[in-house]
Amino acid sequence: MGLFILRRLLLAIPVIFGIILITFLLQRLIPGDPCRAVLGERATDEICDAFFARMGLNEPLPVQFLLYTGNILRGDFGDSLRYGRAISDLMAERLPVTIELGLIAMVFAIVFGVPLGIISAYYRNSAVDVGTMVGANIGVSMPVFWLGLMLAYIFSVALKDTIFVLPPSGRLPAGYEVIPFFVSWGIAPDVNSASAGLIFLSRLNFLNAALTLNLDLFFTALRYMILPAVAVGTIPLAIIARMTRSSVLETLGQDYVRTARSKGLAEIFVVMNHAVRNALLPVVTVIGLNFSLLISGAVLTETIFGLTGVGRTLVDGITTRDYNLVQGFTILIAVGFVMINLAVDILYGYLDPRIRMR
Amino acid sequence: MDATTTRPVKLNTPVLAPKAPRSSLWMDTGKYLLRNRSAVIGMILISLLIVIALFASVIATHDPLLPMIGQPGHTGRLPARAPCIHLLGCPAAEPEHYLGLDLNARDIFSRLVYGTRVSLVVGFTAVVFSIVSGTLLGMIAGYAGAWIDNLIMRLMDVLLAFPSLLLAIVIVTILGSGLQNALLAIAIVTIPVYARLARAQVLMVKELDYVTATKSLGASSGRILFFHIFPNSLTPLIVQGTLGIGTAVLDAAALSFIGLGAQPPIAEWGAMLSEARSYVFTAPHMVFFPGLAIMLTVLGFNLLGDGLRDALDPRLNRI
Repeated sequence: MGLFILRRLLLAIPVIFGIILITFLLQRLIPGDPCRAVLGERATDEICDAFFARMGLNEPLPVQFLLYTGNILRGDFGDSLRYGRAISDLMAERLPVTIELGLIAMVFAIVFGVPLGIISAYYRNSAVDVGTMVGANIGVSMPVFWLGLMLAYIFSVALKDTIFVLPPSGRLPAGYEVIPFFVSWGIAPDVNSASAGLIFLSRLNFLNAALTLNLDLFFTALRYMILPAVAVGTIPLAIIARMTRSSVLETLGQDYVRTARSKGLAEIFVVMNHAVRNALLPVVTVIGLNFSLLISGAVLTETIFGLTGVGRTLVDGITTRDYNLVQGFTILIAVGFVMINLAVDILYGYLDPRIRMR
Repeated sequence: MDATTTRPVKLNTPVLAPKAPRSSLWMDTGKYLLRNRSAVIGMILISLLIVIALFASVIATHDPLLPMIGQPGHTGRLPARAPCIHLLGCPAAEPEHYLGLDLNARDIFSRLVYGTRVSLVVGFTAVVFSIVSGTLLGMIAGYAGAWIDNLIMRLMDVLLAFPSLLLAIVIVTILGSGLQNALLAIAIVTIPVYARLARAQVLMVKELDYVTATKSLGASSGRILFFHIFPNSLTPLIVQGTLGIGTAVLDAAALSFIGLGAQPPIAEWGAMLSEARSYVFTAPHMVFFPGLAIMLTVLGFNLLGDGLRDALDPRLNRI
């Protein structure tokens, strides 16, 4: 298993190298003068010369690439022109929002998708099955940003006077004060004296709520996260339900399931322990592949729901032509995606020993 | 003496085998598709969309780019006006707009109708582009092997390492916003999918006896690739291509939604959603219909693609 993990890790290195190369080329390929693209059309030649020297843009391309890679490996993505702050700081501030959104969306997709798939397979061609599959087909075809907008309308306008009303934007109500866990634990007196890692963790609302046993924060954050998570999680839910259904259908027809039945095992035991257990492997792969959808979903829905996460920052960077920001966040997302795929690969190898042998 | 009498047998009677009905892979596929309810729904949806796109000028009730302000019969506050259908009780004095007006007081129904053209053209063109380039790359990689294979496929791996929408965003950022560049970006990000498929097919087919036979007859590599290997690798590419059109329509809408695709005043569904998004709470009709149009289009291609996959899958031996 150790060798398997090592091999997968080594395979990820050239891919990450490729990602850095593509984003490096991004800024070099954008037509026009990079200095005036960054500093504006009115920058004088002297200012531009200084800019080129400071950014290392006078060096030959291979040297520039080495400098660039070196900076990134040290966690230095440069400064954002729009915010005037280090991009790595912006990442630490905004990544928790997207992580939370992605995880809750995925939990939603798995918790509903897998049981729906199992029930559909077991009651094949019943009304439940047909309904689930029609719903799944529609779910896969919906644009995530449209679903987000419609959910926001339904739950905050159409159902305004009912108990189903949900907030359409933000992470927490305005003015809601969150006490970071490191303050209530006495690790650091305030945010300014805490380390970057602690601040990052404390920005994960659910983790912070769990660590400080703050139920109110937990449920408030959950209420705000429901609509974005449902929007982002619906397409993965549909895909997971479809995959689970076809996978369980296949295992239900296997000889060992018939044997289990003929031994007189209870039906629920036959289905859950024999059919479903063996059917979950391809489902795990599909769940892993769906992280790509979560990331696209985050890019498209964070703006709608007023969540200042990685996706929204990227879109803002594009509209304001803040190329440093676009570059940094592209690398962050792509490397995160590679890491998730790596984790899924390793998990898959763990679940199915045959994979490790290859 | 043998008392049993035997009936004489005519030895030269020709044995007539029952004539087999003419059948080919495509005829069987067609028959199966017509029996598959989802695929039929998919085909109906796609046919409808194609008819709408072809006859947009006949179906549309207004000019999709023309604001209604100052037009005969249009009075009062026009931007974002709700749908008005006389049959459903809208006062006859008010001009009829089936799906209402948008922020610039343009007829949403007509914009949707013309938007069908844009979406279908983007979907088909992007997929054709990526199938052609992906297949070419995949076939070369699979047939040539060695370092050429390695070089092409590792490049494809890097492209696949990006979430597709993110890569499309990066490409449009480099090329500049606009529908054409968005189309190109969508096509580029899906190339690896077709390259992998084509390569796998070539690897499988190139070892078959008929290819060896052609090779021994002295056929050139190009001839073998394009006349012998390619036609026999088409099936999975067609299935993937059909599903790919749906994805391309969705991605084009997404790029337009974040302002990188179609630019105003083009009637494109994603751009229409983008323009209307801030008004979802006050004028939801501006958001509802373009999204519905995108969904039905993608649904049509998904249903047909799934049906085609089942029909062409030799493991499901149901014909």
